Amino acid sequence: MNVVFAVKQYVSKMIEDSGPGMKVLLMDKETTGIVSMVYTQSEILQKEVYLFERIDSQNREIMKHLKAICFLRPTKENVDYLIQELRRPKYSIYFIYFSNVISKSDVKSLAEADEQEVVAEVQEFYGDYIAVNPHLFSLNILGCCQGRNWGPAQLSRTTQGLTALLLSLKKCPMIRYQLSSEAAKRLAECVKQVITKEYELFEFRRTEVPPLLLILDRCDDAITPLLNQWTYQAMVHELLGINNNRIDLSRVPGISKDLREVVLSAENDEFYANNMYLNFAEIGSNIKNLMEDFQKKKPKEQQKLESIADMKAFVENYPQFKKMSGTVSKHVTVVGELSRLVSERNLLEVSEVEQELACQNDHSSALQNVKRLLQNPKVTEFDAARLVMLYALHYERHSSNSLPGLMMDLRNKGVSEKYRKLVSAVIEYGGKRVRGSDLFSPKDAVAITKQFLKGLKGVENVYTQHQPFLHETLDHLIKGKLKENVYPYLGPSTLRDRLTPR
Amino acid sequence: MWEPQELGAVRSHLSDFKKHRAARIDHYVVEVNKLIIRLEKLTAFDRTNTESAKIRAIEKSVVPWVNDQDVPFCPDCGNKFSIRNRRHHCRLCGSIMCKKCMELISLPFANKLTSASKDSLSTHTSPSQSPNSVHGSRRGSISSVSSVSSVLDEKDDDRIRCCTHCKDTLLKREQQIDEKEHTPDIVKLYEKLRLCMEKVDQKAPEYIRMAASLNAGETTYSLEHASDLRVEVQKVYELIDALSKKILTLGLNQDPPPHPNTLRLQRMVRYSATLFVQEKLLGLMSLPTREQFEELKKKRKQEMERKKILERQVVLESQQRFEERRSDLASRAANGEVVSLRGGPAPLRKAEGWLPLSGSLGQSEDSDPLLQQIHNITSFIRQAKAAGRTDEVCTLQENLRQLQDEYDQQQTEKAIELSRRQAEEEDLQREQLQRLCEREWEREREQFRAASLHTRTRSLDFREIRPFQLEPGREPRTHLAYALDLGSSSVQSSAAAETPNPSSALEPARVWSGPPALGQEFFPQSMISQQNELASLNPFDEEDPSSPTAEGTISPPAAECSFGPSVSILKEYNPFEEEEEAVAGNPFSNPDSPAPNPFNDEDEHPHQRPSSPPVSGNPFEEAPCTNPFEMDSDSGPEGEEPIEEELLLQQIDNIKAYIFDAKQCGRLDEVEVLTENLRELKRTLAKQKGGTE
Repeated sequence: MNVVFAVKQYVSKMIEDSGPGMKVLLMDKETTGIVSMVYTQSEILQKEVYLFERIDSQNREIMKHLKAICFLRPTKENVDYLIQELRRPKYSIYFIYFSNVISKSDVKSLAEADEQEVVAEVQEFYGDYIAVNPHLFSLNILGCCQGRNWGPAQLSRTTQGLTALLLSLKKCPMIRYQLSSEAAKRLAECVKQVITKEYELFEFRRTEVPPLLLILDRCDDAITPLLNQWTYQAMVHELLGINNNRIDLSRVPGISKDLREVVLSAENDEFYANNMYLNFAEIGSNIKNLMEDFQKKKPKEQQKLESIADMKAFVENYPQFKKMSGTVSKHVTVVGELSRLVSERNLLEVSEVEQELACQNDHSSALQNVKRLLQNPKVTEFDAARLVMLYALHYERHSSNSLPGLMMDLRNKGVSEKYRKLVSAVIEYGGKRVRGSDLFSPKDAVAITKQFLKGLKGVENVYTQHQPFLHETLDHLIKGKLKENVYPYLGPSTLRDRLTPR
Repeated sequence: MWEPQELGAVRSHLSDFKKHRAARIDHYVVEVNKLIIRLEKLTAFDRTNTESAKIRAIEKSVVPWVNDQDVPFCPDCGNKFSIRNRRHHCRLCGSIMCKKCMELISLPFANKLTSASKDSLSTHTSPSQSPNSVHGSRRGSISSVSSVSSVLDEKDDDRIRCCTHCKDTLLKREQQIDEKEHTPDIVKLYEKLRLCMEKVDQKAPEYIRMAASLNAGETTYSLEHASDLRVEVQKVYELIDALSKKILTLGLNQDPPPHPNTLRLQRMVRYSATLFVQEKLLGLMSLPTREQFEELKKKRKQEMERKKILERQVVLESQQRFEERRSDLASRAANGEVVSLRGGPAPLRKAEGWLPLSGSLGQSEDSDPLLQQIHNITSFIRQAKAAGRTDEVCTLQENLRQLQDEYDQQQTEKAIELSRRQAEEEDLQREQLQRLCEREWEREREQFRAASLHTRTRSLDFREIRPFQLEPGREPRTHLAYALDLGSSSVQSSAAAETPNPSSALEPARVWSGPPALGQEFFPQSMISQQNELASLNPFDEEDPSSPTAEGTISPPAAECSFGPSVSILKEYNPFEEEEEAVAGNPFSNPDSPAPNPFNDEDEHPHQRPSSPPVSGNPFEEAPCTNPFEMDSDSGPEGEEPIEEELLLQQIDNIKAYIFDAKQCGRLDEVEVLTENLRELKRTLAKQKGGTE
């Protein structure tokens, strides 16, 4: 179930099916992002795709010697653009692929526009999501809910994304959802609806254990996203921001022009692939090894290329060397900037207190630490607000809760209203009243042993004590212990019977 | 990590689409075809020499004309027909319109349409020329007369009347024909380019197989055959380069300039061709000369024999090592420590059970909180079992397992710690060097930060990448040769002095690569026994600077010098020698190499570099056989070797391109190094020229 590979296969198939000859890839805004996540330009060039155009771009020239591969979302606008395009075709032949289900009436209006018979293919290829990592995808939706309810457009896009995901992986799953969340239930129903409606599409080989789609709501664990993370990809995401594998480094002081925007993709950056889930400390030493490795390949000033053999070897290795030097400078810059931010924002200390707030139950010590950090001028208002949010979530019902005092401290620190409002908002979003489960106090013997173990090992790394709630949920799921009264199945009970183990 | 995955679900709408389209298209296609057939009938006879009445009869037979009385007004403009505003019939559909709304079809146009339809059936007639040439002449002879007469008696000698609708349909049809027939230059060039690429894909692997085999001293392929193939492949590369360059510059001098997208397309084609050449050409290893080849054959024979002996040795070696480790294990086990050399002691211990072990460990270990917890849980389990609470037992047992794992791990770590301490002592001297190295690394790092290197695949300026751009050699051909000789030998020694540096840099990563208990005395042999990466790194562990193998990897010239005179001494098999020759296939590294170069003496290939201006004298005529430096290389261990001139030139060009690239990206330190190389190359070239003339 590799989503990157799934999308890549779709794109490869499109290109292959169009045969030899120069090609242009005609996309919309979203599909451009989708394709760029799985293919690099040089990779796609090798497949004779030389131009990339947006369907909505008006400045396209008539180039009858090109074949057009259209990969579009089946939106109303795209269909309209395509109709215009077919009426006055700019390219010799069109291979049309929609990233999701398209209506029969749209197909008809497209067919009627194709008077010159330039269309050679009309298919649905379900690459309708941004494949970030093999096991992670995104729909790049910012803010999908209004209050506790779905925005209608976002709900429909999410449904499309999920069903496309299932189709691209050829899975027809059982659906479970988080009972405490109305939004999760709505989405589950919508997905089910599509599966029922397009039942022919979802006819896949049955497996012994049917696949499962578990829909969770973030409000069940508001803690995790509030913590500073210490693995490479997570840090880049948290501190620099990564969007479709691109990092904007333009705000880094003294950045060179070439490094304003860099691409971090595990698909074609071996170093990144090997280090994205490693701890910051480990990355430091790995980057050192990378440099040393590079050093050996780089011609040194003292050890100039003396013999022709040296030179020949150098020239032969040059492209590799160049590629490597690109990788080295990129990662050195990114890691350098991360460590600069860590020290500038005093993140080590902040993170330690964050972890204490998330994992331990010592109220007075936690309060003291938060208060201390709020006095520290190096702590940014953003981090300060996050600390108070964590405190508020953990000690929401604590007898000696002193949130008002902390709020006062925030105000005194000069934290803007925008951030201070978040504290009450996060309680409303993920507070005890909302949560379906208990985040903070372990109950059973297993959890207690775990905490005991954590106490033993905790000394090793205070910054990574916290384990996301998701971990436990998945663990229970795998062991078949996930409670049905908290995460019920959607659909008739006959289907449910198929799943019940033993 | 990821299991194989088939293509995701797809759904085709093509048949649906075609059905809808066919309904719409049928009407249109039938219309067009009808018009074309009629047009053909109307132009099938000689109009000029036929009476107008007869023409009219024929025209009426092609399509029935609409009755005049039925149409009182012009259907297009709405004017009333009268004596002055007469009715006109469309010869193609028979409809009526006024003179103003009438269109005319010239005979050439008609012929173009009809012959194109015919051509589509029988393709062998030249499509675009026949109608124009034939009817062009006809028009010239007739038009002047007929233009007058047609006005007078309305006889249409060279044109056919029709309505706007029919004319529109026909114009559209014409446009389609034009597009079909017209092949833009870029397509023609591109098709050639692709053919070349296919050829490379075919031939290059074949050549590489040959070259690798020849360089290894095998006799499967013939040297001549391989060199022919090499020339052939190289020619194709040059063609690819030339073609893509031509594509790049298409229409650049046009006015108006081509659409930016056209230029973008051309750049991209060029870029991908450059990528292609870079990737494939640089992997093209060179061939040994005839003499080298003989040498290689001999060497291979010797090596095979040596290998056999070595293999036997290795077997003995490993047995011995095994024995030793066993005894080592035994002694450690006696001390009650966990032996962790293999990194996998846990399963072993678990199989034996941990309880007896914890018992034998005695008091001090029992104070470990983990062990206490383990004891607690085991007693819990016992209680739970007694109470018959099976699920409780289950979870507790799981906890127990976790605790045990944790405990195992702790023990392992302790053991590792212990052995690490031992190793650290050994490493103490090396650490000193490492610190030096680190300082250097720090400095380099600063430089790299400054150096800006492109990392994105998206924003390359393709015009800058010209690895094969040739410039006429402007270097005067003076005899600078001996300066080079001196210079290189002096720097050589400084490079040799540096050797501990890289080896110590490797140190931290490699401390655990081999069993520490095995002393250094085993290294030469173990290195020989393994030809993999480990082996190539291992020699650095050994700090003996006199070791010829260690030196060999660090700097190729050093390897040469040790290789030349000491072949007889160096009885051990040296993996690096082999590697170097197999990978680079380097004819230069052999000091005994005489000059007859299979590429250079090929006078029958004057087109070898078609795109290049002659570079200071013809290298193909002068290079062969008479190399004066042959003597040099015999007398001095690190004398200058003769160099394939062609390759030299190519490298000069390559390096020039790299310099350009580096300059563009502002990597100044690199530019410096590269410039230095360039100068050196040029000097070598000049020297060789000087020698051969």
